[in-house]
Amino acid sequence: MAVDKEELKRLLVEFCTKKAAFKSKMYIKDMYAACPDASPREVKNAANELVREGKLEFFSSGSTVMYGVPGFGKGVEEAFEEEKAE
Amino acid sequence: MAEVKKHATPMCDELKKGSWPSFVDDIEQKGLAGKQECLDLLGQLELSFKHKETHWKHGGIVGVFGYGGGVIGRYSDAPEQFPSIAHFHTVRVNQPNGKFYSSAFLRKMCDIWDYRGSGMTNLHGSTGDLVMLGTKSDQLEPIFFDFTHQMSVDLGGSGSNLRTPECCMGKSRCEWACIDTQGIIYDLTQTFQDELHRPAFPYKFKFKSSGCPNDCVAAIARSDCSIIGTWRDEIRIDQAAVAAYMAGELKPNAGAHSDRDWGKFDIQKEVIDLCPTKCMWMEGKTLKIDNRECTRCMHCINVMPVALRPGVDTGATILMGAKAPILDGAQISTLVIPFIKMEPPYDEFKDFVGSIWDWWMEEGKNRERFGELLQRQSIQELLRRTGLKAIPQMVKEPRSNPYVFWSADEVEGGWKRDAAEFRKRHAA
Repeated sequence: MAVDKEELKRLLVEFCTKKAAFKSKMYIKDMYAACPDASPREVKNAANELVREGKLEFFSSGSTVMYGVPGFGKGVEEAFEEEKAE
Repeated sequence: MAEVKKHATPMCDELKKGSWPSFVDDIEQKGLAGKQECLDLLGQLELSFKHKETHWKHGGIVGVFGYGGGVIGRYSDAPEQFPSIAHFHTVRVNQPNGKFYSSAFLRKMCDIWDYRGSGMTNLHGSTGDLVMLGTKSDQLEPIFFDFTHQMSVDLGGSGSNLRTPECCMGKSRCEWACIDTQGIIYDLTQTFQDELHRPAFPYKFKFKSSGCPNDCVAAIARSDCSIIGTWRDEIRIDQAAVAAYMAGELKPNAGAHSDRDWGKFDIQKEVIDLCPTKCMWMEGKTLKIDNRECTRCMHCINVMPVALRPGVDTGATILMGAKAPILDGAQISTLVIPFIKMEPPYDEFKDFVGSIWDWWMEEGKNRERFGELLQRQSIQELLRRTGLKAIPQMVKEPRSNPYVFWSADEVEGGWKRDAAEFRKRHAA
């Protein structure tokens, strides 16, 4: 079923922000639950557009890429800088 | 030359002994020429040998804007001892198809990497990318700018993305190429840019294409989707050349393996008896092939390349699901399409890939490769999802997967039937 893209993006931001409070990094597959009517490809495209808009961010381990919400959780880079400052 | 500090590395130095080239030697030479990163890298390796554990952290928000892959974050957990490799990110660069370079291109890439990175490279990684080893986070955007604007190359794939598609040299150098591997891989790379650079999948996905069944890029063993050139008509035979091989006028295997005397060429022993389906025989001085039985193993063509050539009605065989052991064991590809013409714009193939991805994105678990999904949900599900027809080659071996499961809509009346009515006719 085709879902309105702007509505899907709104649902995704809402879902991720809520989830990020206790789990800051999520797989694309976890995000399908934000809108069960949307196809996986639609969710992926909307999520990537949100990354371009700066509302979500990528987190890469090198072998797996996850999504995060800016400001939630700690990036490794940030943790690294903190460790160095200590 | 910049002043550099060499660490004591007695265990690493052991690896310099012996007659083989040593990566320790190479890295040390580069370090002593002014790259502290190289010497710190060896120092950290020595520390890892001593502690028997790695001193790399892994992962993080490193990358270039808008890309979810291409950069692999790497940090040392001993930055005080080895400050120059505190950040040591790897950058993957999408290689040109067939890995054709000019020396000017390679020099320029090395200049950029000497300036912005550790100066160390790995040509090539397993997926085929140029791997640029060791740089700092603040260099990533300038590197990306230089690569895309000066060198006209893009980053490769990493993470849960489409990985950099790879192919053999194909028709550019090889007389056996049955498909235009470079054309196919270029087209797929352009078409699936979004899948390459931004995470889309439960895990990695690889396309590899070989021009003939010799499969020089080992697509059948290494890629989730192998595109391997083949033919569906008859092997072309030049009987005069067959006679020349038998008379010793032409060297078998195009002169390969000729470093010792193997004796006179024996077509029976070296070609006919080694045919896996026994589809070749001699009638007097004429070589005969029962092409219906040929499995395209390429052995006879490899041994007598002047006498035998692939047919002219060429296309590709598509196989799915190879992988190295990460979660489950290693798997080799499963044949799904025995023959497809593979002509631009490859729409039939792309539609097939779309149906595969829809299935995998819907049903695949996190970090589950397509081959594992195929194993978990069956070939029958693959057929249902893609609309392909079943073929005998999909049966792994006799009696291993003979069961046919019907779905409700394939059975008259579905699963609902009147049991009482049934029992009137059939005693329990």
